[in-house]
Amino acid sequence: MNFSETLKLALSAIWAHKLRSFLTLLGVIIGVMTFMIVVSLLLGFKAYVDEKLAGIGSNSFTVRRFSFDDFKDTDSIAAAQRRNKELTFDELEFIKANAKLIGLAGARALPNSREVKRGNESLANVRIDGAEPVIRDIEKLDIAEGRYFTDAENDNAVRVAYVGSDVANKLFPQGGAVGGEIRIQGIPYKIIGIQTTKGTVFGQPQDNFVQFPIKTYGANFGGLRNSRGLYFSITAKDDKSMDAAVEEVRTLMRIKRKVPYDEKDTFGILTPDAISGLVTRIVGPIGTVILLVPTIALLVGAIVVMNIMLVAVTERTKEIGIRKSMGARQSDILRQFLFEAATLCMFGGFIGLVIAQLAGLIITRLFFQTSIPWWAAVLAIVFSGAVGIVSGLFPAWKAARLDPIEALRAD
Amino acid sequence: MNDVNGAASSNGTAKTASADSIISMRNIWKTYQMGTEELHALQDVSFEVKKNEYVAIIGPSGSGKSTLMNLIGCLDSPTKGEYWINGNQVAEMSDDELAHIRNKEVGFVFQTFNLLSRATALHNVELPLIYAGLRAAERHEKAMASLTAVELGDRVTHRPNELSGGQRQRVAIARALVNHPSILLADEPTGALDSKTSIEIMHLFEKLHAEGNTIILVTHEPDIAERAHRVITIRDGRIESDEKIK
Repeated sequence: MNFSETLKLALSAIWAHKLRSFLTLLGVIIGVMTFMIVVSLLLGFKAYVDEKLAGIGSNSFTVRRFSFDDFKDTDSIAAAQRRNKELTFDELEFIKANAKLIGLAGARALPNSREVKRGNESLANVRIDGAEPVIRDIEKLDIAEGRYFTDAENDNAVRVAYVGSDVANKLFPQGGAVGGEIRIQGIPYKIIGIQTTKGTVFGQPQDNFVQFPIKTYGANFGGLRNSRGLYFSITAKDDKSMDAAVEEVRTLMRIKRKVPYDEKDTFGILTPDAISGLVTRIVGPIGTVILLVPTIALLVGAIVVMNIMLVAVTERTKEIGIRKSMGARQSDILRQFLFEAATLCMFGGFIGLVIAQLAGLIITRLFFQTSIPWWAAVLAIVFSGAVGIVSGLFPAWKAARLDPIEALRAD
Repeated sequence: MNDVNGAASSNGTAKTASADSIISMRNIWKTYQMGTEELHALQDVSFEVKKNEYVAIIGPSGSGKSTLMNLIGCLDSPTKGEYWINGNQVAEMSDDELAHIRNKEVGFVFQTFNLLSRATALHNVELPLIYAGLRAAERHEKAMASLTAVELGDRVTHRPNELSGGQRQRVAIARALVNHPSILLADEPTGALDSKTSIEIMHLFEKLHAEGNTIILVTHEPDIAERAHRVITIRDGRIESDEKIK
């Protein structure tokens, strides 16, 4: 008995009990569906994070006063605050003068939150920060209108501002934001550029900011210290020398700060890898836990399929007897029922896949881009088939071993 | 499939049965263990059936008639003794080898037809050909020919529940014959039919016999048995009489 015959037989047996087949499959359907949704969510989330966070400058890294590890607990924060001094322009100059593997390097200052006014209109909680003009190239800023700062504007602490599209649209609903004037704490600034709308990342608006030349920021908001401390944004010469560039900058910083060889860094370096590594560290365990749900569903599904196949064998004892009397061998009967169970489950897998695909489309529309990778789809179908074979094995073996005389006598 | 063929032909080389015997049973015993007691369903049964014979096996219920039929049809193996069917020594065959013999050498006709209820007449007739490993086109052609031979060429797409009892039995006969078996083994073939249809079916058997088929008919009805050319009577697991009547 060949493959297509067996398959035809399996399909007709499944079709003969449509409702029962469907109900039997619910476990498998839910298992595969949740599996696919979870996988696509996790991968989509990872891609989203990689793109939104690390992608801000995928070959740039930052040197900061504190490292990730310093935020472990209050003791380590306190210790780091004592050990780690503020970064200085001096140190940036030292890096720029000595590093061979870096491309661009520029200073930024940590953001504060202020109310921004234009006439009687005002916007509360706007992120304000400062940056050197070179940041535009380092972070590949997308300017919608106007321009970024010049070196001259920075050197002279000119009161100009580069703003997010939210700020521009809300304070200048009629347009004409570029060249317009806004006030923060009573001090006027002239808008010279507007950034292209970026939307939100994790619900955080990306277009609600005002950025100043770093020296303007320092001069007007109380110095580049503490909550407005400096940090450096640096690019590697090329993508391949990223790790080497990070090491070089680390070494230069240690030399400049005279850190003894047996002591740890008195500063932190944050690479895109570290960010996506952090995401993986968070997402990984969550994913494992979430994947337990489809696993349990599949297990229950397998038991249900085994049960229904046992029922099918009992129901079709007579048929098995007839087939055996017509010359079916044990292997023919075994294969018939195994195929039936496998085909049944693969159907379930397919239905689950389709539902997951639809759910993915909805998630993509509402939250972020998800897609089911082809390997996960193939894996789901193959795995459901395997579930079918495993759960069909015992019923099929029982059927194959039936005594033809006894089986023919059944009704 | 091939290994089974190999086993069959190697058995064939050791054949001792007379050349024109389709069936040759020698000192067949079938013993069932009932707790500590042994129950002899068949005791020392020996007989031969030649090509194109028309034999009725008759006996009251409990006589061992059904056991004998199961042995002839290779649904079961004897406890002791030799059984040759068309030159194949069956007595010590494995399950799969028996399946192969059932497929090639035996055409079953049952009292209750035993058709697959969800399958069409055509598919039912194709069944032995599927297990013989024939391709779809070939199967279709042979099954059609077999159904036409029992005058059901216009009913091929009907399912059993759309056919009368007599038609169902004719589908079963077409199925039994489709693989050109050595014997046609009928177990009470008219048991579930009214007398008019019974006569039709018996006429069909006579026609098939006339065409050269070897037929073994198991029954408990003497008037059905009389239509055969030879009657073997079984009682208490032994052959009581074996006589030619035509």
